Amino acid sequence: MSTVILKTDELYTDFYTFEGVVKALNGVSVTVNQGETFGLVGESGCGKSVTVRSIMRIVQTPGKIVDGKIVLFFRDSDRTEGIDILKRSEAFMTSMRGNDISMIFQEASTSLNPVLSIGYQVGESFYFHRLDQMLEETIETVTDKLDGTKFFVVKWWRRLKIALFRRELRRLKNYKDEIDTIDNELYALEEATDVKTVRRRNMLNRRRDQAWKKDLLVQLVKRVPFLKRYQSDIQETVRSHVVSLLNSLGVPNSERCVDSYPHELSGGMQQRIVIAIALACNPILLIADEPTSNLDVTIQAQIVDLIKTLKEKIISSVLFITHDLGLVAEICDRTGIMYAGDVCEVASVKEIFSNPLHPYTQGLLRSVPKAEQVEKLSTIPGTVPNLISPPTGCRFHPRCPHAMEICVKEKPPTIEVSDGHSVACHLYGEEE
Amino acid sequence: MHSTDSPVDGSTIGQSASEAQGETKHPGLREFLFSMKRLLKNPLTIIGLVIILFFVFLAIFAPVLAPPPQPHDPYLMPHDGWKIQPSPPSAESPLGTLPSQYDILYGVIWGTRNAFRIGLFVVAANLAVGIILGSLAGYFGGIADEIIMRITDIFYAIPMLVMAMALVVAFGRGLQSIIIVLIILGWPTYTRVIRSEILIVRDMDYIHASRASGSSHLRILAKHILPNSIFSVIIVASMNLGTTVLTAAALSFLGLGADTGYADWGQMVSTCRNWIVGPADNRLAYWYVVFIPGFVIALFVLGWNLLGDAIRDVFDPKLRRR
Amino acid sequence: MSMLNYIIRRLLFMILVLVGVSLLVFSVMMMIPPGMRVAAYVTHEKVTSEDIESMIEVYGLRDPAPVQYFRWLKRIFTGDFGFSVTAEAPVLEGFKSYFPTTLELVLYATPLVILVGVWFGTKGAIHKDKPIDHGIRIFAIVGYSLPTFWLGLLLLMFFYGYLGIFPPGTLSNAGKDVIFSDAWHRITGLLTVDAILNWRWDIFWDALYHLILPTINLVLLSSALIMRLMRSSMLEALGQDYVRTALAKGADRRTVHLKHARRNGLLPVITISGIMFAGLMAGMVITETIFTRKGIGWWMARAALQLDVSAIMFNVLFLGTIFVGVNLIVDLIYAAIDPRIRLS
Repeated sequence: MSTVILKTDELYTDFYTFEGVVKALNGVSVTVNQGETFGLVGESGCGKSVTVRSIMRIVQTPGKIVDGKIVLFFRDSDRTEGIDILKRSEAFMTSMRGNDISMIFQEASTSLNPVLSIGYQVGESFYFHRLDQMLEETIETVTDKLDGTKFFVVKWWRRLKIALFRRELRRLKNYKDEIDTIDNELYALEEATDVKTVRRRNMLNRRRDQAWKKDLLVQLVKRVPFLKRYQSDIQETVRSHVVSLLNSLGVPNSERCVDSYPHELSGGMQQRIVIAIALACNPILLIADEPTSNLDVTIQAQIVDLIKTLKEKIISSVLFITHDLGLVAEICDRTGIMYAGDVCEVASVKEIFSNPLHPYTQGLLRSVPKAEQVEKLSTIPGTVPNLISPPTGCRFHPRCPHAMEICVKEKPPTIEVSDGHSVACHLYGEEE
Repeated sequence: MHSTDSPVDGSTIGQSASEAQGETKHPGLREFLFSMKRLLKNPLTIIGLVIILFFVFLAIFAPVLAPPPQPHDPYLMPHDGWKIQPSPPSAESPLGTLPSQYDILYGVIWGTRNAFRIGLFVVAANLAVGIILGSLAGYFGGIADEIIMRITDIFYAIPMLVMAMALVVAFGRGLQSIIIVLIILGWPTYTRVIRSEILIVRDMDYIHASRASGSSHLRILAKHILPNSIFSVIIVASMNLGTTVLTAAALSFLGLGADTGYADWGQMVSTCRNWIVGPADNRLAYWYVVFIPGFVIALFVLGWNLLGDAIRDVFDPKLRRR
Repeated sequence: MSMLNYIIRRLLFMILVLVGVSLLVFSVMMMIPPGMRVAAYVTHEKVTSEDIESMIEVYGLRDPAPVQYFRWLKRIFTGDFGFSVTAEAPVLEGFKSYFPTTLELVLYATPLVILVGVWFGTKGAIHKDKPIDHGIRIFAIVGYSLPTFWLGLLLLMFFYGYLGIFPPGTLSNAGKDVIFSDAWHRITGLLTVDAILNWRWDIFWDALYHLILPTINLVLLSSALIMRLMRSSMLEALGQDYVRTALAKGADRRTVHLKHARRNGLLPVITISGIMFAGLMAGMVITETIFTRKGIGWWMARAALQLDVSAIMFNVLFLGTIFVGVNLIVDLIYAAIDPRIRLS
């Protein structure tokens, strides 16, 4: 039996633009199981990117998540119920992003900051989420060096550094304990809806936002011109981690790469760096938003292979967005088809290709040219609808060859037709 | 309603409800109306427009609002007597007078005409030169580009006001000189803007397509390139008008412009230098001399800057769709 | 090594532009009739019209232009810029006595302009469309429209006229007595610096006191320009993909703003700081005139009125050189910060 790690439940996201409200997500429900690669497929503008951005809660203004739930089942044994992250604080999300959920994007070259070195950008992930580990390792290294020192000044300088690192570590540990307590309590209060609990939840969220991560003295020292050099040790630690990470991703010459800048790398290499940034902290879920769409086919194949290998070793689950059905067939286990903010059909990849139920899926599969095909290429007539005033009822009805009266009036409910295969179409209502 | 088997009628496919009801405007017109709406929604635009219209009104109706005492040269400000000490605002002089009793209100009204004269002349001339040279440099490139760019570099090397002062010394004082000097010093800005716009557009595919179908250079320039480049220039021109008037006023203030008693804002400001501090019991006694002419200048320039800013907010493609 | 290449190329370019500037200055000079140009050589008071004619002959002021140009160049390279009527001394002497005053003001104003402009511009971008942003935008556009002279006069009228503080000039009368006495050693010419070097803290505070109003005048207006630019370039940086990546990494807002966005946002501001500096120098003419500080701006204003040709030409040439130099430095700073330029 597969365990669910992520579940969105009737997610509605709107964009408040100058021309009107764009109803980008119309009740999107997606489930990702542990260990699988889930492919989210659809045309441009159907809402795939908005969905994953909503999951990460980094929807761009003027967008807002207006309704629904996003439930994560990340932490293991003691937690059987999920966490609705829409109810959590921003600080909570910040600690999740890049740590438990990571995302890689389409255009690698613009995804990297041109004025910061590769080493810095990859290293940032370690600084944000693994600082305690880095600090501990650094303390160990410097302590080892300390044993071998003879000179008085150097000895004391090293002692000072260790003291500072220890302080920072202590503060960090206190912080972690604090937020763990808060998180545990929030988890216990997850389901309750009475006013008192809601108020307490809000207060806890606020407190989580305000908890102190940094030690004042350390921050002060970090800014003093000569003293701040003490950080070079932890920079070394982070750097070595970055180098080994790059090595494991097959980046040649990683020592040199760490000191270079994004514009000096090729497209495929840049994408590897983006993947490195995403994987630095071993996320539970990797979201890939069309990572290969802008690369030429050979590089595309490399990246796809890379993701496949990584999935076996490091990542547990992948949410892969693409418009390329061939890619879906190659790497995904299950897939969901989206159209204009709706999820039309969800099934295992085998099922989708052999038994597509939703008219849109059928149209999609029909339009893929096949090797033996001699007749005209088939298309789905019409164009993607305007989401400010979308079609009523089922959003696909203007283009659907099987559209009925009810399709114009009512949005079709999602029905599970067979094990793991669900459709949102009036053709498959329960009465039939 | 639709039958279950036949494909849906193609003409209504893909359109939302309102569009299907038949309201497709010509895209150019729609964009224009969109721009106008955006422009007018911005409160700053309205303020800028109001300010400019106010000054236009003053300029056009100057003879009516402030009848010149000497019709052959309306720019000579009237003065009621020769007393050096400025008179505070009163019934005869609603805004007070400058030293030697020149009426401030009169100076402000007729000074508007001067301001517009300077601004429009300089900007128009600079636009013309800038478009010609900028097109030469940007479109044809090569040696023409190099030469023109080096010359603009040289002009840019010296701060505008300082160079203007030097040139006015060479040409002699007076508003005419100032206009000529500002034209001479102003064209590099426009040339550069047009050139960079052209450089962006020049290599776009639709230009290549146009060449491939046989259009002459001039036609391409006129029909394709310039209309697309024009927006940046309009923005620059609008803000440049403000700065031109500022520089001209500064030159007049320094005494390089019109003579005393001439209705020029900058000149009016320069007269106040001895009257900054009033008598011990009323130190701000001559505030109107210090404050009013300069305020009018600031208001005028502000109006143009607001307008230019608003136009840029609307037409800059990056900021267009929010 | 490409950095060295870059520097060399820019230096050569700088020389080219300087030559061009000298040509420009010279052509302007040629437009002035010989009768007035003679003033550059006049060191005594009474000059009759025959004297003028003979001087024109002697100094070859009617010779063909190229000849005069190279003669002028030769003179310049020997340090002879002629005599300045307004300074009542050879031009270089006048320059030496006037320049430090200007330099002092520039040194205090420039960092302030940049700091104020960058800080408020960043704030405006981060809090876009909130009240503080509107305030900053209004301040910026109003500040950009104000005439320097008007603001200066108003400041003077209010603070000095009405409140009686911050008088114009560079020093109080008591201070001036000290300066011109034997106890004072003029080392740099910058009053505040010299005051410290002379260990006269009373002079130091006196000079600083007189610097406040002119600095405010300059800073208020120039920072408006930087503020606007910083705000818009910061907004642009915040809309870029790498900000999205940083957020997805789990960066907190502050890191995103300061480390990622601001560094990119600063780039256009650095480019424009050269031009801003030129504006500052131009503003100096007005500010020094209003606040009666005897620097080269003040000198230029008087020279223009009294048609002191040699002074004007020298100052134009000098400012041109400074400006070209500043632009070179700005380009180098830009290259140092933006690795795309540095390593290509």
